[in-house]
Order: sequence, then structure tokens, then C-alpha cells
Amino acid sequence: MPQKNHYGFVIDVSRCIDCRACLVSCSVENAVPMNHTRIWVHDLGLQGEFPDLRRTFTPYNCMHCDNPPCIQVCTSGATYKDKETGVVLVNQEACIGCGFCVEACPYDARYLDEKRGVVDKCNACDQRLVIGQKPACVTTCLGGARMFGDLNDPNSEAAIALKNTNSILQRLDIEYEKGTYTRPNIYYINSDENLNARLEPHQPQYTLAEQSWRKFFLPAVLVGVGATVLGQAIMFTKQLLQGESEFEDR
Amino acid sequence: MSSYKKIPLSDRKRLHEKKIRKHDLANILTHWFNVGMWALLLPTGIAIISSPRLGISPEWLQEFFRNSFGGTDNLIKFHYTMGLIWTIVLTWNVLLGFRKYFLPFAAHRMWLDKDDIKWLMVKPLQMIGLKKGQPLPPQDEYNAGQKLYMYVVILGTAGIMLSGIVMTFRTIFPVWMKQWAQPLHWVSVGAIVAGLAVHVYMGAFFPEEKESFFSMFTGEVSAWFARAHHEKWYWRKVEQEMEWEEKVRKESEVI
Repeated sequence: MPQKNHYGFVIDVSRCIDCRACLVSCSVENAVPMNHTRIWVHDLGLQGEFPDLRRTFTPYNCMHCDNPPCIQVCTSGATYKDKETGVVLVNQEACIGCGFCVEACPYDARYLDEKRGVVDKCNACDQRLVIGQKPACVTTCLGGARMFGDLNDPNSEAAIALKNTNSILQRLDIEYEKGTYTRPNIYYINSDENLNARLEPHQPQYTLAEQSWRKFFLPAVLVGVGATVLGQAIMFTKQLLQGESEFEDR
Repeated sequence: MSSYKKIPLSDRKRLHEKKIRKHDLANILTHWFNVGMWALLLPTGIAIISSPRLGISPEWLQEFFRNSFGGTDNLIKFHYTMGLIWTIVLTWNVLLGFRKYFLPFAAHRMWLDKDDIKWLMVKPLQMIGLKKGQPLPPQDEYNAGQKLYMYVVILGTAGIMLSGIVMTFRTIFPVWMKQWAQPLHWVSVGAIVAGLAVHVYMGAFFPEEKESFFSMFTGEVSAWFARAHHEKWYWRKVEQEMEWEEKVRKESEVI
């Protein structure tokens, strides 16, 4: 999808100490309900043998994919990719909270806010982006693990971090349809772990209602409507060719 | 079997002049209110369904409606506001007219009888050019095809209204209901629209049924049309008229 800018996160895994200040600032900034969170820090556990131990924490949130499976299933267009920034957003005024997208997200980065009847997720603090500020989680990150910016802009913090790193770049990319990859916009740097193997994004799940609609109700209605419209079109054409008489039905 | 073709010319002319009331004003107004609401709800509804995986509405249609209404949320708000008005007015009409309109209607005009079954076995074949010479059994106020479509419309309308309410009041209903409401809404609309092609063609264009189109404005059809197409109903009307004449005659004798 063409967009003006290409915003993304760069996460330096080696700098995360699991303080979770980012979770707090995100919840405060976005009024996230107490029993939910828009962002996470995954603890990959202890690695190695004593005394040579290490522990990896991986900050995690919506990947703002280039080809997001969540958009593919959203019936009303409430979930969309912003044309200015490339950030994946939810228009909660247009969302009915059916949860098709929650199931379809390979990263489990969305949740259902049943009280408000909508889906919620990281919006990269879109309300801050429009006034030139960075997301709350990035500005609060004590160790500077979370970085954010326009990846097309060589002077952005994120682009500079990507350019300067000597480590392998990791993206939790998966192929969910033949030849279609999610192309996530979180780049992990300085991690010794194979994050894709450890965090295991899953194939999009499609609800029974969505699948029944797509595979059965959609073709059934199209065939039914098509058949009657075609039938009437043939009848009407025949009628036009035969002409009408004022006394025909008398 | 229908025998209108044997009616002599003078009677035919007389029957053409005489008018019989087919629709009450309440039915006519409800019908055209329904038409107006469908004209607003169908295109906006199609434009809302923007899931690429379903691929129902083209991008240009979505863009056109979103831009016309000032965004996706406004388009959806318009759709469900109109939908709620439609639901409330139709439900109100049915409740208000239940005794006077719906019960007599259901008692005499809704159910399929033996003639209807025979009609259903012959008419579809005639429509594709077979069994042209076979006469059709006499029909009531609504023929068997119209009765079948009536079932689709009643069930479909209930399906649209209930699923629409579930999707509109998103905080009240559980997630699984909101998931299934969407294909139910779609299939209910689809079933009605499939029949709508036949309904509109038969009602507005088909030469033999021309009178039924105008009856949706005037409320009346000619006695000839009733005799030829709805014979059972016609004879019942004649009976009712004779009963009325008898009653008036007796009343005037008393005076």
C-alpha cells in the first residue's frame, strides 16, 4: 500500500531491562483499561549454564505490518493503514467489536474491549505523531530500547539505529498466503536469540462465522442474485423484441 | 381451471371498467416507505462491506460513499440510523395493524393450498417455454410465486432487523452474536434481493402484470385483471359484494 511516510519501531533487545515503564506510559497516554494492555515485554527466560547466564526481554506491540492480515478480515473498514504514516489504526467509531481481526492477527497484538464493544491495539500514539511527538512508550523507555521514526527519513532515530547496528536485523515476518508476507515494521536489533522461533507468530485464524460467510453465504447469494437478475434480463429482452400490444392481455 | 378466455367480449369490456380494491392506503404507504428505505440502505450497506478477503464491494464504490458521507464512521452511522428508523416504523405498522390487517391477511392469503402447489409445478416450466398450452389453476389474491416470495421477505426482514440490532448495539450483545450477525445480515438481504429482481420485473415491466404496478399507487385493479389472474379472490369479492347488496336491500325494506 503506497504511503507518504514509513513509520516503524526499532527495538534494541540488549537494552531492555523489563522495567515496564513503557506499559505504564502507554496505558496512561491511551486510557487503556486496567485489565488490558496494548504493548508487552516478553520474557524469553534464562539461557545458558551457571555462571554464564543471560536473560532476554523483548518489547512487543502491533507490528504495523505492510500487509496486515487484520485489515483483510475487517468487514467495515474500521481497521486501516494510515496513508500518511503507514501506521495500522482502528477507527473505533466504525468498529463493532466482532473480533475477526483479533483472531486474524498473527502477533496477538489486539484485544477486545468488551465494555466499549470495540477492538483496541497500539496506534503508535497517533495523537502524538500528528503534533510531532514520539509514542509514549518510546519517550519513557529508560534504557533507550524502543526507538521510533520514519524509516524513509535517513535522519530519524530509527533509521540511524538501523544503519549503525552491526547485529542481524530481525523481523517476525511470516508468509500467510502464497507469496504474501506480513512484512512487520518492528525491527529487532542486538538479539542473540532467534526471535521468530521464540515468539512464534502464528498463521492468521479465521472465525467460523467469517469462513462460512466467505466460503458459503457469499457465493450462495451471488449465484442466487445473479441467476434471477439474468433470468429477468432474458425475459425483458424477449419482451422488448416481441413488442407489446395494448390489447395483449385482454 | 382458469376459464377467463371463454368470457364474451361485452363482459370483458364491463369487467375492464369495474375496479376492485386490492391495497389499502396503509399497505401502499408502507410499501413505498420500504422502497425508499431499501434505496438508501442497500447501496450504503454494500459500500460498508470493505473486507478485501470477501471482496464484495469495489474500492471505488467504498471511496465514493465514504467521501460522500465524510468518512467510514459517518457512513455507518447513516446506515444504522436509517436502519433503526426502518425497523421501528415497520414494527410499529405491523403491531398497530396486527388485528385489522395482518390477521385477515394471514388467515386468507398467506398459506399455500392444492391449487398453489399445482401452479408451482406448471408456471416455472411455462416461464422457460414448456407446457405453454396447459391451463393454470385458479389463484387467490396472491399467486403461489408471490406467496413464496412473501415468506422470503418476512423471514429476510426479520433476519435483517435482528442482525442489524445486534451490530448496532455493540456493547450489549456477546462477540459470537456480533460475528454471526454479519453473514446473517448478508444472506437475509441477499435472499430478498434475489427475489427483488423478479418482483420489480413482474411488478413494473411484465405486460400481463402491468395493473399490479399501478395498483401500488391507486390501490385498485380492474375486475378483469382480478378475474384473469386471481380468480378465487375475484369470486370472493363478488360474493362479498352480493352480501353487501343483500344487506342494503334488507335495510331499505325495513325503512
